[in-house]
Amino acid sequence: MMDGSAGKHPTDDLQVSGVTRTFKVGARQVYALREVSLQCDAGSFTALIGPSGCGKSTLLRSIAGLEQPDAGSVLIGGRTPQEKCRAGALGVAFQDSALLPWRSVRQNIALPLQVLRRKTPDANDKIDRLIDLVGLKGFENARPAQLSGGMRQRVAIARTLVTDPSVLLMDEPFGALDQILRRSMNIELQRIWMENRATTLLVTHGIDEALFLADRVVVMHRDPGRIAHIVDIPFARPRLPALFSAPEFHRLEDEVAAYLYAGATA
Amino acid sequence: MKSITRFVILLALWELLGDFHLVAQGALPSPSAVIMQWWQDRAVYPQHIWATLQPALLGFVIGNLFAAAAAFTFVLVPAFEGLMRGFNIAVFGIPPIALSPVLVITLPGEWPQIVLASVSVYFPTMVMTLLGLRDIDPRPIDVVRTYGGGDFAVLRWLRARACVPGLLGGLRVAAPAAILGAILAEFGSGARWGLGSFLLGSLGRGNPARIWGIGLTATLMAAVAYALCALLGRRFSASLTSVTSASAKLHDPASRTAASRASQALLALAACGVPFLIWWGILEGFGVSPVIAKTPLAVWQYLFSAPDAADSRAAILQALKESLPPAGIGLLIALTVALSLAVMGMLWRALTAMLMPAALILQTMPLVALTPMIVLLFGRGIAATLIITVIVTFFPAFITIAQGLAQVPQASLDLLAVYGANRRQKLALVSLPMSLPYLCAAARLVAPASLLGVMIAEWLATGYGLGNLLNTARGELDYGMIWAVAFVAVAVSVGFYQLVKLLEDAVLRRYSAAAASG
Repeated sequence: MMDGSAGKHPTDDLQVSGVTRTFKVGARQVYALREVSLQCDAGSFTALIGPSGCGKSTLLRSIAGLEQPDAGSVLIGGRTPQEKCRAGALGVAFQDSALLPWRSVRQNIALPLQVLRRKTPDANDKIDRLIDLVGLKGFENARPAQLSGGMRQRVAIARTLVTDPSVLLMDEPFGALDQILRRSMNIELQRIWMENRATTLLVTHGIDEALFLADRVVVMHRDPGRIAHIVDIPFARPRLPALFSAPEFHRLEDEVAAYLYAGATA
Repeated sequence: MKSITRFVILLALWELLGDFHLVAQGALPSPSAVIMQWWQDRAVYPQHIWATLQPALLGFVIGNLFAAAAAFTFVLVPAFEGLMRGFNIAVFGIPPIALSPVLVITLPGEWPQIVLASVSVYFPTMVMTLLGLRDIDPRPIDVVRTYGGGDFAVLRWLRARACVPGLLGGLRVAAPAAILGAILAEFGSGARWGLGSFLLGSLGRGNPARIWGIGLTATLMAAVAYALCALLGRRFSASLTSVTSASAKLHDPASRTAASRASQALLALAACGVPFLIWWGILEGFGVSPVIAKTPLAVWQYLFSAPDAADSRAAILQALKESLPPAGIGLLIALTVALSLAVMGMLWRALTAMLMPAALILQTMPLVALTPMIVLLFGRGIAATLIITVIVTFFPAFITIAQGLAQVPQASLDLLAVYGANRRQKLALVSLPMSLPYLCAAARLVAPASLLGVMIAEWLATGYGLGNLLNTARGELDYGMIWAVAFVAVAVSVGFYQLVKLLEDAVLRRYSAAAASG
């Protein structure tokens, strides 16, 4: 898939250059990120992995325009995150589904269109297709409280896709799910992503999840938050569940783990 | 079923007590006597009820519109909230009975009732709506922002809907308050109709059954208003059970605006001035005669530079000396009793189950209706004043504290259970410390109510203190004194509130510091 061809969907590349973000803890200044640079090709899938406090969520939030870096710049397809936000080019998913409890599944998926004031006649068909895509047919009018955790997360993913985003940003979207559910969601995410091919950034704690989904795994270390190593993942797509037990998968898992723990001893 | 049996037994007991004049020489009439008197008066009740209900409704609508508009503005422009802080606390602290004569002499027709009802409604609705608007799940905000949504989009798509349960909760508290406000404004208005006028007119007639009838009618009206709003609330918030847990904050978020110390001090100073500006502005705007309507300056002159200023000051100081001790003592008793009962309720669940519904209903009871009954039962002395104050403050305090004890996380209690802790240990180690903020909040919330209770008792019964001074000044058309007493009552009430707030801040600072280091 390395050609990054977009099909009918638009994609954008990601350019993170020298991003620094500091916080004050008492009198001490803490670097959540120090001069982090990262380049993601259009249509690529990148996983960010690292210990708590390594700044991976801060990096993702900076790319989403939710936080302003102290120094450095983020460009999405040559534009600032804020410009891209207003154009509806970004899709975000968090560990929490962040659904509105008073809205049905269908209305929750429609929220981004309303915020963007996008009124398209085929919006309803599209939402139906997305509900189908994430396997929630029959739950269109259910409220979040009536759904299981995994189902809510699927709604959140359908919501991120409703604007045809060119960039998908996901912050531990399956972090609150159990291991079995998580694995089936991984397989589904790959299927969904292969249909859309948006440039994707996934923050995760799970090495297996990162290896299974990504073209590249970016290992981050903390104090200061920085990129320690980037591992290319060579497996062909579509990747099948059997890959989880393949010896070369385990070898790469060990390799990434080694880079990860190298930072933890410091 | 059980509660119905209990109710029937209680009713039968009351009937016996009343029929045989067992309490205070017949001051407690039997239910049958009350109903029979009510039946005799049935021709006049509809008119009295309507005369109270109509302005109460109007005031309810006006006050809530103001409250909701204020809350929305405060969220969009936080600095405005800082500016209006003094006004908000003053409105909260105003004993409605102190405002009543002032309104009666300045406003025509039914407007005193309407205004007092809306003033009574403003604060609960504003605070609850603001809490609902503010205290929302931060994660959907991120979602809206990622699609380029600004503050207004967040307000429109998230906050406006998320505040509905808070708003409805506010309305629930506000509904009985509107009726109480309308009744209080009838005191001294000389109006012929209205439950308040009916009550005042019946006080000297030696007919306990009629007084009880009026009181129970007013209570019933307040309870129905409360129940209607509660029903509405349940209807709308059923679908709103949050998917994610967002914790409610009891502490008021006034100090949130990040600004330099100097500009904060400036804002605080301006906030103190705003109530006076509004006071002045309303009088100027309506062009009320300066003989009747006293501006802040005129009140100052009355108290300090007029020829008999010293006499006026002495009268007010004497009244304060009489009113403050029962208010303070009553507040302390109420808080102690509320805390003990809430704690006992933790140990014996049945007690809370029994007390909570009663407390929820009784806190809606308009205390004007209550006062004559208590005076009939306990005489016109200090005991009656104290009991009224305790009753007025006890129920809201009990509800707040019991809620605090109920929200202690189960995990903390489970942790202690693992080490074999008994109920008492759980209470001492976890429940009590964790509900401390609620105890503080309860004290702050009911502090102004205690002064209101004392003043109503004084006005209607005891003939002491601020309430009595206000009543006599009204009778003698001493306009300066009416305004001065109203001002002093509000100032004392706000001072009371601020004092408790300072204590609360100190306690909570230690508490959170201890929690952080421990």
